[in-house]
Amino acid sequence: MQAVWHARALVLTLLLIPVEALTEPPREGPPWYVPDHASLQLAGSIGLLSAGPGWAFLDEAVEAGLLLGWAPPLVAGEDFLTLTLKGQWHPFRVEWRGWSLRPLTVGMLFSYTFGDAYFVRLPDRYPDGYYWFKTGLRPALLVGGGAGRPVPALGLRLLEGYFELVATDYRTIHFVQDPGTVRTGLFSLALGARFRF
Amino acid sequence: MRFWVPWLLLCVSCGVFEFHPYELRGTDRDRHVHSLERLRRDAPEGPFRFAVIGDMQLFLDESAAAVKDLQRRDVAFVVQLGDLTEFGSAQEYEWAAGLLDELPVPFFAVIGNHDVLGTGADIYRRTFGPAFFTFEYAGSRFVLFDSNSREYGFPGNVPDLEALREALAPEPGLTHTFTFSHVPPGHGDFDAALTQPLEQLQAERGVSISFHAHIHDFDSNVRQGVRYFITDSLDHRNYLLVTVQGEAVQVERVFY
Repeated sequence: MQAVWHARALVLTLLLIPVEALTEPPREGPPWYVPDHASLQLAGSIGLLSAGPGWAFLDEAVEAGLLLGWAPPLVAGEDFLTLTLKGQWHPFRVEWRGWSLRPLTVGMLFSYTFGDAYFVRLPDRYPDGYYWFKTGLRPALLVGGGAGRPVPALGLRLLEGYFELVATDYRTIHFVQDPGTVRTGLFSLALGARFRF
Repeated sequence: MRFWVPWLLLCVSCGVFEFHPYELRGTDRDRHVHSLERLRRDAPEGPFRFAVIGDMQLFLDESAAAVKDLQRRDVAFVVQLGDLTEFGSAQEYEWAAGLLDELPVPFFAVIGNHDVLGTGADIYRRTFGPAFFTFEYAGSRFVLFDSNSREYGFPGNVPDLEALREALAPEPGLTHTFTFSHVPPGHGDFDAALTQPLEQLQAERGVSISFHAHIHDFDSNVRQGVRYFITDSLDHRNYLLVTVQGEAVQVERVFY
């Protein structure tokens, strides 16, 4: 039951964002809170699929995004619902034969997992500081890149594909402590699409 | 229609993608059952040795060194005393179990307080099997149990003394019993109401040695005639080597 609900929430988010943005009159400088792009992502420790609106600043070099993520029991063994805040910086943009390339992206995210099994505030059964981390709120670092093309037929200024190597807190800490064991396990892979209106 | 499902499962199993830190990956591995099968196949007569290793948590490279050292030792099997992970995440379970898989001998792992965080208890079950586990080897009985009382809010049945009483029932032909749990009795994370009953039960049943970890510092004492050992965590680069020779049981700290 819960799984179905999560799927619906995800689909709803996907549908709403572009509509909301597209109904804004073009070239009239919509208010700041209207998102200028939306993302759909596969994996990256925040769900099988995650989707949500994003806001770009400084000539699209800096971006912030919200992602609602869901992983179903079929692939994750459990039902996971997450809400993620992601910040990114694309230091370069290269235009090449109609493509817009972003060869490097660095960023950071905080991902909240819904559910009683995960804590953000340490439950009462523990003394203060018993665990130094929060199982319900995960920070992660990311590095990646992407490339896109305009797709006017769909009303998209740019349709971008991107990849991210995501280093969650537990991966990063283990990598620092145990490089010999962790090695490339520092990262997991995320793939995604970004729709710029 | 669903052609992408097997591809996704493949990518999940090869570890490139992670859908959630606390995801349950792949199928059940039940390493304890597998270890038991291997153990029965080469059951010896006479004296034998086994190794007891401590908390692995953020000390995976030191744990790998322990495994490497153990590869050269003549031990029948290895018992890890819990806290295989720091966060209880799927990836850490994979690293820890992957290291233990390198042991040439069967191994068993106790569940630690860090291992039950998030869905950790489920990941433990899928990786090793039930947290309460008993096996016999060469006339000795070995009992692994969950003593992480604080994690469950001190419910009064962790550790499960009823199950323990049953598992420690005397039986003809049994020379020794050894018990293993993560949090030692008497520690603040162990149900205070159960410390005395547990120690008394272990004394009544004539437990040879009770092994624990959690504190990260070696300790050894005798309570009500029963020997208690607490292993160093593996960042201290040592483990316990236990030699069973008839009635005699000898414990030695091995530094590597």
